[in-house]
Amino acid sequence: MTEKNFLTKALTKTALTRRSFLKWSAALGGTAALAGGLGYGLKAVEAAAEQAANEGKWVPAACWGNCGGRCYNAAYVVDGVVTRQKTDDTHPDSPDFPQQRGCARGRAQRHRVFGADRIKYPMKRAHWEPGGGDKSLRGRDEWVRITWDEALDIVASEIKRISETYGPNSILWGTEAVGAYCGYINTWGSTSSGTWAYTAPRVFGSQSTMGNDRLDMRNSKLIIMWSTDPTVCSAGSPAYHYLLSKRAGAKFIFVDPFYNWSAQVLADEWIPIRPGTDTAMLLAMGYVLISEDDPENNPLIDWDFVNRCTIGFDKNNLPDGADPEDNYKDYVLGLDRRGRVAAEGHKNYPPKTPEWASEICGVPPEKIRSFALEIAQTKPVAFMEGDASARINDAQTMGQAFTAIAALIGSIGVSGGGFGQTRHSAAGNRGPNLISAGSANTVLESLDNLCELRINNNEFWDAVLTGEYTSAVNEKTQVNIQMVYHTKGSHLQTKVGQARGIQAMRKVEFALATDFHMATGCRYSDVVLPVTTMWERDNYITNPNREALFWMNKVVEPLFEAKDDDWIDRQLGLRLGVYDPAVEEISDKQQSFNRIAGATVLAADGKTKETLVTITQEDLDALGVEGTPQTGLIPVMEYFEKGTYQVPRKDGDNFSYIANQAFREDPEANPLRTESGKVELHCRVLAEDIYNLGWSKIRPIPEYIPAKRGYEETFSDWKNKVKGPYPLQMYNKHYWRRSHSEFDNVLPLRELFPQEFNMNPIDAEARGIKDGDMVKITSSEGSSIRRVCLTERIMPGVTNLPHGAWTEFDDELGVDKAGSDNYLEAPVPTVEGHSGFNSQIVQVEKWDGPRLLPDSQWPQRIPIKEV
Amino acid sequence: MAKQLAFYFDASACTGCKACAMACKDKNNLPVGINWRKVFDYGGGGWIQHPAHPEFMIPNNVFVYSTSTACMHCEKPLCAEACPAKAIFKRDDGVVLIDKDLCIGCRYCEWACPYGAPQFNEELGVMTKCDFCQDYLAQGQNPACVDQCPQRALGFGELDELRQMYGNINAIEPLPSSDISHPAIVITPHKHSQPSGQGTGRIIKLPEV
Repeated sequence: MTEKNFLTKALTKTALTRRSFLKWSAALGGTAALAGGLGYGLKAVEAAAEQAANEGKWVPAACWGNCGGRCYNAAYVVDGVVTRQKTDDTHPDSPDFPQQRGCARGRAQRHRVFGADRIKYPMKRAHWEPGGGDKSLRGRDEWVRITWDEALDIVASEIKRISETYGPNSILWGTEAVGAYCGYINTWGSTSSGTWAYTAPRVFGSQSTMGNDRLDMRNSKLIIMWSTDPTVCSAGSPAYHYLLSKRAGAKFIFVDPFYNWSAQVLADEWIPIRPGTDTAMLLAMGYVLISEDDPENNPLIDWDFVNRCTIGFDKNNLPDGADPEDNYKDYVLGLDRRGRVAAEGHKNYPPKTPEWASEICGVPPEKIRSFALEIAQTKPVAFMEGDASARINDAQTMGQAFTAIAALIGSIGVSGGGFGQTRHSAAGNRGPNLISAGSANTVLESLDNLCELRINNNEFWDAVLTGEYTSAVNEKTQVNIQMVYHTKGSHLQTKVGQARGIQAMRKVEFALATDFHMATGCRYSDVVLPVTTMWERDNYITNPNREALFWMNKVVEPLFEAKDDDWIDRQLGLRLGVYDPAVEEISDKQQSFNRIAGATVLAADGKTKETLVTITQEDLDALGVEGTPQTGLIPVMEYFEKGTYQVPRKDGDNFSYIANQAFREDPEANPLRTESGKVELHCRVLAEDIYNLGWSKIRPIPEYIPAKRGYEETFSDWKNKVKGPYPLQMYNKHYWRRSHSEFDNVLPLRELFPQEFNMNPIDAEARGIKDGDMVKITSSEGSSIRRVCLTERIMPGVTNLPHGAWTEFDDELGVDKAGSDNYLEAPVPTVEGHSGFNSQIVQVEKWDGPRLLPDSQWPQRIPIKEV
Repeated sequence: MAKQLAFYFDASACTGCKACAMACKDKNNLPVGINWRKVFDYGGGGWIQHPAHPEFMIPNNVFVYSTSTACMHCEKPLCAEACPAKAIFKRDDGVVLIDKDLCIGCRYCEWACPYGAPQFNEELGVMTKCDFCQDYLAQGQNPACVDQCPQRALGFGELDELRQMYGNINAIEPLPSSDISHPAIVITPHKHSQPSGQGTGRIIKLPEV
């Protein structure tokens, strides 16, 4: 048997061409059973035939998840269909100049584009009528195919009818056309950043100027990873950057309820901590540093920085008019204004000792103390945090307490230091962009949204159900929402309070959604409009991180009847009369080209901006765009073919970034953008702004506030430690199957990552639960069922339900079967109105009902079974 | 010309992200149920009361590490020995391949392999497994899994050279002892890696893939 024979017979013989894909997809029966009967969304292809025929071409392909990676992918296109992918191989790989390698999700991107569950054409709910018809059938109804004209006419007429009947403030979310015609309500509130959104700008002046670049982080001797797992949460390069720091000699300590996947590679030590109790531990660490510091014999505190660069550390450094007891030191030490230990009942009581904190956070007091000493005695130390501990109800001052420690231990403004948010695309690699796109030079002005009303993320579903929301301190306002437009965001899936959201969706008169698959918003809508993915569009330009710029264009032509979001908005706007049919925006292709023509990259001196691309008239003709020839670093067509330009880096180059170095050196000349210009351990503005939002009153110093739905609320009697009806904490780690809720439908990812629910074996044993059992997880909002994966890597008392699964509510069983985190999550507006995803309490019990099939064997959501 | 091509796996760098498994599934169009490359989390330890503060539970030797494994292209391929149709052969460069034209789908090799490499494809009716991306190798390119790994935990090369560079370890839990089929692999262990057969942990996963 020759190799050639083996090669040609290696795989099945049916070549997948665009024509055959469309035909096959139309012929797809009601079942998802395809090749192998395993519900796989694609037919197998003959790789050998492709290569032999040499018909295919590699093109750069966007990875458009909101994951912080957005790494490089390329797609092999054969007759309009992608048959395989690869990741970055556009330059040789090295630690200093690494390829932008992607994760399992990005590698599965073609399943999203070509899956059998792709929405093919506009649809309406079978039992829909103007006004809603039988609204209880939303989420349970059949679907009927309609034309684009029909669909857009329905949408336009319902918008007109609803806005006329109910006035402004009756539509939730929308696009530019809706905003210009009658206005739509927007929702607001920090989601990913948690309470850093308000705290960072006021306490520190900015969220983005906190950490150092990845080469500088190789100078760190100690890196603290507080509630962060970059491996999963910023998949792609960040974990590799940290690995290189480790190889350069950094010690890593992780503070986290879970011995996470970054910890398993990086951690020298793991300190388990209960979710939502971080502020208590941070305050106790401050107590240790202040009470044990001795500048001569045992220097623990960077007094130089504290004295020159902060306000609020003690009562001698407070803004005018401040209450002298509102200072960090007296609060931490539990002292009154006379410097004596405060009595019980005093607002600074008790002293924030390690013993006090340990009861709350679960970290033994000696460990709190030794950890505080270690980070104060090791230099330089990077004190990093990943936002999870900020996504906690009431945790407004966590960031301020965190910043205080960073200030005390001298992490701010030094090489090998840095502190705060290590997240998203800047994880492990902060600093201004080395390469940036230019302007799209669009010709049309955007139209304003006529409605200025914004409702907080924790209140909008209740606003639909009850007709009111919090508009100011002690003030509620009425609202009558009768239409929901799910678009450009998976609100019904990724915002808290989903159980209420489903009820709300069955109350309003009209709902529509745009999407590629029957995700949660579509399920509960009346009209569904298919949109193109980023592979079917031009104009995907993004910085995956500061060092590279991707320029990705159409990989394939739009599939079926999918349309761009902008086209949908325009057609709607023409029907609503807000757009002039004679005037059109320039094409995506032209906008994309304009941005690249204007792209600049920093020269080796780290200062001069150089034009990126050379453009000739031939190039303009080849690309079919308008423009003027110019000179740059690389030919534009070379960039077009490769899809990426990455700035090479090396030790000693001029691209380093040490956050706040100039501020540390001269805070008067380089003030922070805070009210005082310094780090505010007493922050008047924060307290005032939080109060005015109407939900909470906090002090201007990092006081400890027990989180609603936090550890304390698992007890009905805190003092005697008697557990209540929801005795376990639950939080929601980011999960490799998904980027938030994207990718959840992709079958191979469902197979590799089964959406297991994690518990500690001790908690399971107490409930008669064994590994792999079905369990029911119940919160005040409802119940979900999942299979449990027991693991010692999560601390007792804490459970993890991975974030982002698309809810699948079973009417008979009365539970969500998918393990949708937000189905269980109670919306609780506190402090800045952020979402407290990680402060939830639940009960877990063995489920004796029907056992779930593995997620990869669930039928795909194919809304219309064609004959 | 290589004598024995082998994979290199750096367990100390592997985060268990399964990008390698997905790269393989993508490149080879593997359906749900077939995974030529698999990643296992292996771990153990427990939680005990703090000796001085019994109200605190603390981790006691909690450990986890991940292992990425495909076909070992063994020096003594038991799959080839077990095959009654002589459909499995070892090339001069050490790569072990299944000839689908000869395979009768009896699945004996599945029983014989200590690593679970050969997997039955129902649609094709034959056994399939990692082929070291031999079509990519023929073009001077790397296997898909190696090029995908964001942690650079996978490599490949001549077995002897890999051993010179990285040592001789070719078995860690949860992999079986290398005495059985002499796998062509070199492993840099994770600090918690345990020797095959002497593990104190278990594979942490739901009972399917």
